[in-house]
Amino acid sequence: MAKAPYQPPVQSKLGQTFDTLFLLVLVMASLFVPLYLGLAGGGKTTLELKDQTWAGMGQNATMQAQWEKLGYTQGAKTDANPTSAADLISARFDYTFEPLELVLTALVVIGYFFIVFHWSKKEYREVIDERFNNK
Amino acid sequence: MNHFQLLEYAAWGLSALFGLWMLIDLIRTDRTYSEELLTSSQEGEIEDALVIDPTHQGGHR
Amino acid sequence: MSQSTAIHGEKISLLRVLGPGHVWALGVGIVLVGEYMGWNFAVGKGGAIAALIACWFAGLLYTCVAMIDSEVTSTVAAAGGQYAQAKHIVGPLMAFNVGLFLVFAYTMLEAGNAITLGYLVQTVGSMSGFADTHDKPFIVLTIMFLAWLNYRGVYATLTFNLVITAIAFVAILVLFFAVQPWTGEYMKHRELLTGLPYGWLGVLAALHFGMWFYLGIEGTTQAAEEVRSPARALPLGTMTGIITLLIAATLTWYVCAGLMPWEYLGQAVTPLFDAARLTDSTVLMVLLFIGTIFSTLASANGCINDASRAWFSMGRDRYLPQVFGAVHPKYRTPYRSIVFLVPVALVFAYFAPLDQVITFSILSGLLEYTFMAINVMMFRQKWPLGTIKRGYVHPFHPLPAIVLLVLCSATYFAVFLGYGTQLVAMMVFYIVASLWFALHRYKFVRRGAQFTMPWPKPVGY
Repeated sequence: MAKAPYQPPVQSKLGQTFDTLFLLVLVMASLFVPLYLGLAGGGKTTLELKDQTWAGMGQNATMQAQWEKLGYTQGAKTDANPTSAADLISARFDYTFEPLELVLTALVVIGYFFIVFHWSKKEYREVIDERFNNK
Repeated sequence: MNHFQLLEYAAWGLSALFGLWMLIDLIRTDRTYSEELLTSSQEGEIEDALVIDPTHQGGHR
Repeated sequence: MSQSTAIHGEKISLLRVLGPGHVWALGVGIVLVGEYMGWNFAVGKGGAIAALIACWFAGLLYTCVAMIDSEVTSTVAAAGGQYAQAKHIVGPLMAFNVGLFLVFAYTMLEAGNAITLGYLVQTVGSMSGFADTHDKPFIVLTIMFLAWLNYRGVYATLTFNLVITAIAFVAILVLFFAVQPWTGEYMKHRELLTGLPYGWLGVLAALHFGMWFYLGIEGTTQAAEEVRSPARALPLGTMTGIITLLIAATLTWYVCAGLMPWEYLGQAVTPLFDAARLTDSTVLMVLLFIGTIFSTLASANGCINDASRAWFSMGRDRYLPQVFGAVHPKYRTPYRSIVFLVPVALVFAYFAPLDQVITFSILSGLLEYTFMAINVMMFRQKWPLGTIKRGYVHPFHPLPAIVLLVLCSATYFAVFLGYGTQLVAMMVFYIVASLWFALHRYKFVRRGAQFTMPWPKPVGY
């Protein structure tokens, strides 16, 4: 039952160039679109620090010594005090999220793998048939 | 113009040089050899002995 | 060494010149930069202790990756690595996706390295008192020089990598012994460690950048067509590589967590260099500065190597325009793929922010590991042990695959915390690319000829 092997068409130089450009555009778009829409970057918040001395920011003597050695100072960040560590110490991630978002994201990932594996299986059968039946 | 700026210009210059070198060699290679030869590499030979192109066997370390 | 120009016969292939040392250098070279920068964002996401837990869990994840990869690749040894594996075991569409994962994981990582190197040179410029310094010329120079090196031949490229990677690794060891962990003179873990600022959720979130300790070790397989005996050298180089990295990662954490408050460490750009600064030793500072520069160079270098091999093998199978399947007759490298990927890396390094680029890279890696777990199960199913010759058989199957899958799921969640939009944008990209491939591109691909391994028919077909 050996059927003739599939003969792919030969792609013209123009077609090859076009395909290359298409991929390039796709890559650039997927990186820069979220960037331009301002959707990128983690959710971040800032801790409220009333007392911005080392002790008030929860730093003990050892920590203070290391901060100072790295070139940082206590107190609020102002033009007169540009080396303040306060901004670094108060930066926090915001891990709150909508459960619906999580479910949707999970569905996208799982769905993606499901479709790719399923489609591959169909194409794979064809490959195996041609490879082993025609020999 | 300070030393660091000089360094920056040197970096730009060298980058251009490397880029040009590759581009010229690419064009020259494409012109010298046939497309069939250039794209004749095949996947799948796992053992050394099977490698096509015997002149390159053992000649390198 | 000489790369002879004579061509006899009518075929040219990549040059088989590499030994296990080069494989080690390729694997560790790409990754070691993660110890010099990037891993510490895990401290930011969950605190220092969370970063250590993440470091070990990610280590477990990658041990599974290395074991699985060693087995499959000691059998499917072809340039393109996991791409060729997917082609033989899962099917064409998966292979196309895996090829893209590889190219983008490595090209983005290359861009990230170039950005870091440019930043370092600029910092040194400003520290020496020069005003108005720029990082861009050095970013561009890094990419152009390394592309040129890659273009000129794989042996010189990876020998260069072997030397600079070894130096960067030794620098970490020297730093560890220089801080005298047995005396407590420099190490202040007791005073600096503060527990878990985000609780256990932070530990999970830290997994995101915990991967950075090891990301890229699986790239060793890309060298398959250039290694003298792939069935032996690839498992050996990969396994010694992961052991090197587990040691380096733990030492790095130990030294940095004992020297810096977590709030600083979690946001530092060059943590190991900062650690050296805190020891007051000029020698150490210079050494770790060199280590940082060398590790970024080694990584970008290995990335160009790996990404171009993956792009090349996809071109060879006509998954991509076939012009990319060309080998340089003199240097025996996939020269068109190398040149093509230069502008892509340049654009990302020039215009995109670092954490964005890193996340792009991590996500592509993560998708790849998810594939690998399923891949190895299908491999054992279609070709059970004994039906084909394997250079290495990994133990406890299917436990590593299951562990890998569980850890991948946890890491998706970790990326989702804070970078959910990028995750979805990435998925959209791969879905559109898949549709393009299945509906348009696949008609140019030969069917049976893609299957190049001398194996029997798979079980169940």
